[in-house]
Amino acid sequence: MTSTWRRLFALLAVFGLLAAACGSDDSDSASEAEAETVDFKIGLVTDTGKVDDKSFNQSAWEGAQQAAAVIGAEVDYIETEASKDYEANIQLFLDDGANVIVTVGFGMGEATIAAANAHPDVLFIGVDQGQWGGVIPNLAGLIFPEDKSGFLAGALAGMLTESNIVGAVLGTDLVPPVVAFKEGWENGARYTNPSVKTISTYHPGGIDVAFGDPEWGATTSRQVIDQGADIIFGAGGSTGNGALIEVAATEGLYCVGVDTDQWTTVPEAQPCLVTSAMKLIDIGVASLIADAYAGVMEGGNSIGEVGLAPYHDFESTVTAEMRATLDEVLAGLTDGSISTGYPLS
Amino acid sequence: MTSRRRAFLWVLVAVLITLIFGFYSINSGQTTAVLAGTVRAATLLVLGAICGMICERSGIVNIGIEGQFLMAAFSAFTVTSLTGSLALGVFAGIATGLVLGWLLAAMAVGLKVDQIIAGTVINIAAVGLTSFFYDRSRSLGVGKYSPIELGSLADIPLIGRVFFSRPLLTYITICLIVLVHIAMFRSVWGMRTRAIGEHPGAADTVGIRVLRLRYFNATLAGGFAGFGGAYLALEAVGAFSRNMSGGRGFLALAVMIFGRRSPFGAYAAALFFGFATALQNQFQLNSTFDIPTQFVGMLPYVVTIVVVALSGLFGSMRDPAALGQTYEKS
Repeated sequence: MTSTWRRLFALLAVFGLLAAACGSDDSDSASEAEAETVDFKIGLVTDTGKVDDKSFNQSAWEGAQQAAAVIGAEVDYIETEASKDYEANIQLFLDDGANVIVTVGFGMGEATIAAANAHPDVLFIGVDQGQWGGVIPNLAGLIFPEDKSGFLAGALAGMLTESNIVGAVLGTDLVPPVVAFKEGWENGARYTNPSVKTISTYHPGGIDVAFGDPEWGATTSRQVIDQGADIIFGAGGSTGNGALIEVAATEGLYCVGVDTDQWTTVPEAQPCLVTSAMKLIDIGVASLIADAYAGVMEGGNSIGEVGLAPYHDFESTVTAEMRATLDEVLAGLTDGSISTGYPLS
Repeated sequence: MTSRRRAFLWVLVAVLITLIFGFYSINSGQTTAVLAGTVRAATLLVLGAICGMICERSGIVNIGIEGQFLMAAFSAFTVTSLTGSLALGVFAGIATGLVLGWLLAAMAVGLKVDQIIAGTVINIAAVGLTSFFYDRSRSLGVGKYSPIELGSLADIPLIGRVFFSRPLLTYITICLIVLVHIAMFRSVWGMRTRAIGEHPGAADTVGIRVLRLRYFNATLAGGFAGFGGAYLALEAVGAFSRNMSGGRGFLALAVMIFGRRSPFGAYAAALFFGFATALQNQFQLNSTFDIPTQFVGMLPYVVTIVVVALSGLFGSMRDPAALGQTYEKS
């Protein structure tokens, strides 16, 4: 080490000491400094969608990041390429000594249950994985009443449609949340507009492709538009995004996004995007991780929040009257006086 | 083509037209929507099939179409989003396809790598590279290609909506199909291409430069797949998402075989696959049958297996004799 380097190093050390000395006066930064050293690892395994799918997996990942930032924990993710890799990817985090493992997606339910049973000392959070087969103390299933979210969006669609036809282009019916969205959407539209005709279609492929096929989404969306639908619900990863963008290509039509506020995630759809039927996945994941860190996470089902995204450019399209109706619907759904027609099994 | 088969084809076409007009008279809206969806879903498939056909007719197996689609879609999307020009995006897509076609030739013809492996390399590289470089905050910025109505042609009932109010790239595709068909079966290039795929040794003895033509054809074919990728990103969807080609490059190979390695045949096969998709959507939209969607979704594949198996039985469909073989001057 040359003398210049030695001097620089000494200077750096002095600054470091100074910084630490100043910091100790401030309780906030002290707790931060403490938090940074927290030995808590969070791992997130995506479904076959990607962590930047602009919808579901991305939302969960953002939630995990938020929680990690608050706690000061380490957080990392693994993307699942094929459904056969679920176990292997969970195992990677187990080997890495993760304290909490978040698995995203209904498809990973079985693998998560198996892992939770085999590793009682590790906490698991399964997004969209209803725990109906008995409570496992170290596994919380974060589920959402998607039917309510879809019902609200459908209620709005029923009021907005002029052709009296509303359409839905969906991922696969192999995934219950997608079915819940669809049933809620259709029944919501009928609730505000009894004469409405609902036309909906699912992707014909398996879980592996149903959420990653924007071309099918777009082509199908066009087919639905050609049959007179003037408001279309696109629900199913990038398949649904393709449907939304296709609607945006024709003027005067509306589209409704899913899971997150797709205004920001799919800017191409802005010309038609009235709102999105949201599941507040990020908030749900973040609060469960916080519980896990505090040692109070409970096993079994944890019900997350749902709601409609802001209307953005369509603030004036959605009239005060419509908003009043939506508020009534929301109140009815909350107190149970309105049924979405979809059973939360 | 024997006169008997020709007669059979005409009968088939007549039956189809009768059926279409029958349905049209019952429910014009739905018939139009289904057929429009059919043509749309067929476009990407036929472009991939033409790519595969040019390669296979020259004796090269190209299973890298999927990767060519994906990489071309990616570069078309990126260039359009950077420059704001759809046309530049299309050129970027074609250029990417050409480069990948050349790469396939370099591996399969130049280095004499196993052709299946060469294609697989392209597919795997495409998924990895596009995922790595994909910037999710990027959007197309401009609207995708929108339909152009061809004057009074677009006013013809049914046909006008199905064929003459399409976006630009679909029109170009239909022109390309005709062009390649004529070139493949009526031009010197086509004859030489078929010669090097059937019997490269014989072709060599009459002075055709086998390796050079194979290089040229694989590169050219890549251009078609590249155009397909640009179509996918800039016309069909209007965005890029990871792995968005979703297996259509492989489906294109089935379309090519089903279509007997001719562009017209491939288009007919692609329309058939597209029709199956549109039809199963329509069944669901009408809630006609309560059968699993996956069942209708698999029908075209089952039909392909049956057709390929049957035609194998009758010996009417046969691979080019030198398919998949490397050629070395003796």
